[in-house]
Amino acid sequence: MENSRDALDAAALAGDILLASGAEIFRVEETMDRIAHAYGVSSCDAFVLSSGIFLTAGSEKEHDFARVRHIPLSAARLDRVAAVNQLSREIEHGMHTPKEAHERLLQIQQMPAKPRFHQVLASGIGSGCFCLLFGGDLTDCAASFAAGLLLYLFLLYLVKGRLSKIASNISGGMLVTLTALLLYHLGLGHHLGEMIIGSIIPLVPGVAFTTAIRDIADEDYIAGAVRMLDALLVTFCIALGVGIVMTCYRNLVGGVIP
Amino acid sequence: MRLLLECIAACVGTIAFALLFQVPAIYYRYCGLIGGLGWLCYKLVLPLSSAAIATFFATVLVIFLSRLFAVRERCPVTVFLVAGIFPLVPGAGVYWTAYYIVTDELAKASTQGFQTLKIAVAIVLGILFVFEIPQSWFRWQKK
Repeated sequence: MENSRDALDAAALAGDILLASGAEIFRVEETMDRIAHAYGVSSCDAFVLSSGIFLTAGSEKEHDFARVRHIPLSAARLDRVAAVNQLSREIEHGMHTPKEAHERLLQIQQMPAKPRFHQVLASGIGSGCFCLLFGGDLTDCAASFAAGLLLYLFLLYLVKGRLSKIASNISGGMLVTLTALLLYHLGLGHHLGEMIIGSIIPLVPGVAFTTAIRDIADEDYIAGAVRMLDALLVTFCIALGVGIVMTCYRNLVGGVIP
Repeated sequence: MRLLLECIAACVGTIAFALLFQVPAIYYRYCGLIGGLGWLCYKLVLPLSSAAIATFFATVLVIFLSRLFAVRERCPVTVFLVAGIFPLVPGAGVYWTAYYIVTDELAKASTQGFQTLKIAVAIVLGILFVFEIPQSWFRWQKK
């Protein structure tokens, strides 16, 4: 009996980590089911939304167990998704007791993110590369690189959860546009549009968008719709941020945008 | 020459985004490969058709490769998929739509906005299409 409780605890925690790290609903449900079954709990039933997990178990032969978890939408942590997936395979092969599995899951939850310095650099490099893809030349890429660096410095060191998602995306879009305008006027870069497009790419909600489509394809309409709304809202906020700065600039210089 | 440079940029850019999404470092090379090949496919199909159709074929390739590597490496497909699809996301379309709205060229804005929507739908269709293929088809690589 104690054992089945531990098993369900582990299953609930695994689902918790997966959902918070940006996995699809289908994967969250399947993983919890697999872990519970691997430990011989057959009455486990889970209902997963994009922001919460409801897990219950219990029958004539098995103890009652119920757990409701609220999980806020947060940034993608694909390393955790991969680690939990690996662990659930190992559990199916009978390599861990429920207690051990729970320990391992707690470790996975504590896994550190990549160093901030790397993230900032990656944002810069990504911006520079994408600027080239969208038709910029090499000097545009250099400008995009700088704007991308600045964007993540801003997001990781200044914002860091202090602003709402809406405010941080609007301000991120504004910051990028301002930086690009400044660099353009300093003579670095020739195509303002391409420079801005390259450097807003790190803000674009790629994970939310693809996961939303996959959820809808799996007929998890509620979760898919919530994630799609999230993706659309973020896109709209970025465009708004760019638009605000552009409008101000246009009024300032008198109607001409390069 | 430009095409080669762009494919390398797509490859490096995809790896950079894989890092931002915290993909484990051992999978970077696959992410990079998927991103680069996706862009190559887009660029090769583009002269023959429209941006939306080219995006569709590139998405299909990206997701097919992601599922292939996911089965091979025994890890969730999301790990490869999300970063690989980034070069195809119509960031430029969103920007120009916003730009034309700001500059009061509403006719151009609606054309551009519609174009962006078409590309987004192409990505959606590409994703749906490849995920309909049964998982067992990807298992041939290992007995």
